[in-house]
Amino acid sequence: MELYSLREANRSVKLGAMLFLLVLGYAYLFAFLMVKTWSGLTPERVQATYVPAPGMNEMEMPAESRATTQPLDLGKVPEMKHTVDTELLIQDSHIHIMIYAIVAALLCLIILGLGWPPWWRDTMIVAAFATGALDFAGQWLMKLGIGGFAWLTILSGWGMSLVYLIVLYSTARAVVPRLARSAS
Amino acid sequence: MTLVTLILAAALGTGAHPTPKVVLVKHADFIRQSLTGATQYFVRTVSIGKEDLAAIRKASDFTPADPDVQFYLGQSQDGKSVGSTLFQQVDTPHGPLEVGLAFGPDGAITRADVTTATVETKPWVQEATGAGLMKRFVGLRPGDDPRKALEGMKGQLSGMPEYMAELIATAVGRGQVLYQTLYKGSAT
Repeated sequence: MELYSLREANRSVKLGAMLFLLVLGYAYLFAFLMVKTWSGLTPERVQATYVPAPGMNEMEMPAESRATTQPLDLGKVPEMKHTVDTELLIQDSHIHIMIYAIVAALLCLIILGLGWPPWWRDTMIVAAFATGALDFAGQWLMKLGIGGFAWLTILSGWGMSLVYLIVLYSTARAVVPRLARSAS
Repeated sequence: MTLVTLILAAALGTGAHPTPKVVLVKHADFIRQSLTGATQYFVRTVSIGKEDLAAIRKASDFTPADPDVQFYLGQSQDGKSVGSTLFQQVDTPHGPLEVGLAFGPDGAITRADVTTATVETKPWVQEATGAGLMKRFVGLRPGDDPRKALEGMKGQLSGMPEYMAELIATAVGRGQVLYQTLYKGSAT
């Protein structure tokens, strides 16, 4: 059963859907730059941001402190390493998971009108919600010291972008008749 | 359309959203500006031993997150120490905060500055530092209580800036303890 058809919808509905997706893409570009700058795009850098530092191993610690002194090139002094501790991750989770859910719900409203087969529609709806949840699941698993879950966070980010691009492409075809005709 | 799709895919293909940090003073600039007269710089890495760890815990009731502590040292042309610096981080629910501390050869604080904050905490930090907080730490010697610096600021700050001031004082206190416990002698 067709829930509604974006293709047949009022022009204002099409305009709203398309502009929402374009502005969402605009926001995602800056999200990408933010992540690239402060978290990194490789599993190693993502791990370094979220996995807690090993900390003190008092069992293997020598009785006395040891010091080494080396000449310093001021041009190579590292800045503070940006890490996300548990309290900060709670705050990030609280904000982002809620926004992810709202964005996924809005994508669902569009998905419902794209005329997709039910199995594909449901798959994309689940993916829209799951990718956001898995992004933070990966971050929390890393926070528990399981660094391998950097991949989960990165893959869920890719999954989120894939869902977005599929919806964008299908919406463009539905609201711009010329695109639909050229595709067929 | 294919090109646009590829660009967007590349742009969006990631997760993880950390609260962005903001560098207020670069480490190299803090070291250069604080160690006036230095012509040579050194980094001293101290790997904390059990005895010093016990001393740190006794003095400040905190355990450093990293077993290796870095001190940045400056020497004049004739090889005399002009002082040392270290950077002490404290974590907050709003992201990490880092304070740079410079010590003179006599062990007194010669400069304190917030070197890193976050997008969220920057305005609160700037309100606290703008009220003259950091100058109140200058001259403190090992063993002095950095929270005394806050006493003269009552009524000047409220809410989050006051909270930031307390965290900054905590960072200064921890830095003092690390300096007092781990820093020994000159660069060579």
